[in-house]
Amino acid sequence: MIPEGPLVTATRTSLVLAIALTAQITVASRIEVFEVRGDLMLLIAVAAGLAAGPDRGAVVGFAAGISFDLLLQSPFGLSALTYALVAYVAGSLQDSVLRASWWIPVATAATASTLGVILYGVFGSVVGEDLLGLPLLRIALVVGVLNAVAAPAVLRIVRWAITPAIGVRPRLMTR
Amino acid sequence: MASSRRTGRSRLTLALLVLTSLALLTLDFRDSAVVSSARRVASSAFAPLRGVAETATEPFTNAWHGITDYRDVRAENDALRAQLDRLRGEAALDEDAASQLAGLLDQLDIEWVGDIPTATARVVAGPLSNFSHTIEIDKGSDAGLRVGMPVINGAGLVGRLVQVTADHATVQLLTDPDFAVGVRLVPDGAPGTARGTGAGEDLVVDTGLEADAEVNRGTTVATSGADRSAFPGSIPVGKVRRTRAGSGGLTLDLVVRPLADTEKLAFVTVMLWPVEP
Repeated sequence: MIPEGPLVTATRTSLVLAIALTAQITVASRIEVFEVRGDLMLLIAVAAGLAAGPDRGAVVGFAAGISFDLLLQSPFGLSALTYALVAYVAGSLQDSVLRASWWIPVATAATASTLGVILYGVFGSVVGEDLLGLPLLRIALVVGVLNAVAAPAVLRIVRWAITPAIGVRPRLMTR
Repeated sequence: MASSRRTGRSRLTLALLVLTSLALLTLDFRDSAVVSSARRVASSAFAPLRGVAETATEPFTNAWHGITDYRDVRAENDALRAQLDRLRGEAALDEDAASQLAGLLDQLDIEWVGDIPTATARVVAGPLSNFSHTIEIDKGSDAGLRVGMPVINGAGLVGRLVQVTADHATVQLLTDPDFAVGVRLVPDGAPGTARGTGAGEDLVVDTGLEADAEVNRGTTVATSGADRSAFPGSIPVGKVRRTRAGSGGLTLDLVVRPLADTEKLAFVTVMLWPVEP
């Protein structure tokens, strides 16, 4: 029997990140709603914050962003910076919620994803990318809705990867 | 007490991650070889997956478009047939003019864009994110492709190569806000610089012309091919849609519709044009 522990959690998380990245470049980038593509890696970062809190969430968000940055031609580290911050904020928001309902993580995922896209646009503009404008708002809102739809399934998967199976129960369901 | 310790640790973690990100951004801006090598390796590793996904999802994508866009596709098909008939007539005239031009340029020993060797490549993947303006093609350095080479299609300029691996390459589309190319107006030759403004958007050409200069709608814009230009001259780029005052109101900017539809690319042609190191 494989013992549960940090190694298993790290392996599971790496596996989920690799699968998510593959899904992002093969499927999510091809699905367009109102000319906006899905952003699965951002949702992974948000879900990590929700499932594991701001500390570990930010680390997973950073890893999700850096792996996505490797495949993009945008400034290297921009996604990593944004996703780490968004995961941290999502984790902090989740920490402040006293009573959990099924819709709270979904609403948080939608809000954090929208915020994440806007933050990416702002940081991008700071480093010389021309991203601010009305299209950014449209992209942010659509990504928020798309990620809200996918959030329950992605949250379940990320929770499985991040939360040790023995000893600690998932945060979202026990509050 | 434990809670404040945890909050402190979280903030420390976040601060370290932010600093690491900023360090990586700095490395990228300094064109670090480490970053570009890592990107090339990642691109090579994931390229086969993207090709497989393209092949696997194509029938479903086609079926979906067949159902949802049937009316539009039929109307577009009718319009294209009419356009094709007209172009067949024009092509016969152009062929004669082109052969006369080639003969004259040959006599004068001037390089002509039609003489540049090319490689045709299939587009295997579109942009990966909402802020990405690159596409992936299925040819690389094995086919003679190098970073910086111009990419065109039957209509005009599509972009340039920004990353090349052995069997794949990444094309920066001309709609990318980071894309800039020296252009001239056809036929009067007024120079300018065309810049992308985002996917599906028009290009903006900073001409340096006076704000009250007249430029007709529909005027063709082509690459200038000026000395040390990243592109050879005479590649069609777009048609002028309208004019507007440039920044400061002293010069004229042109809003130009690209001739190549970068949203619907299936095949592109890479011009194996010598790129200055």
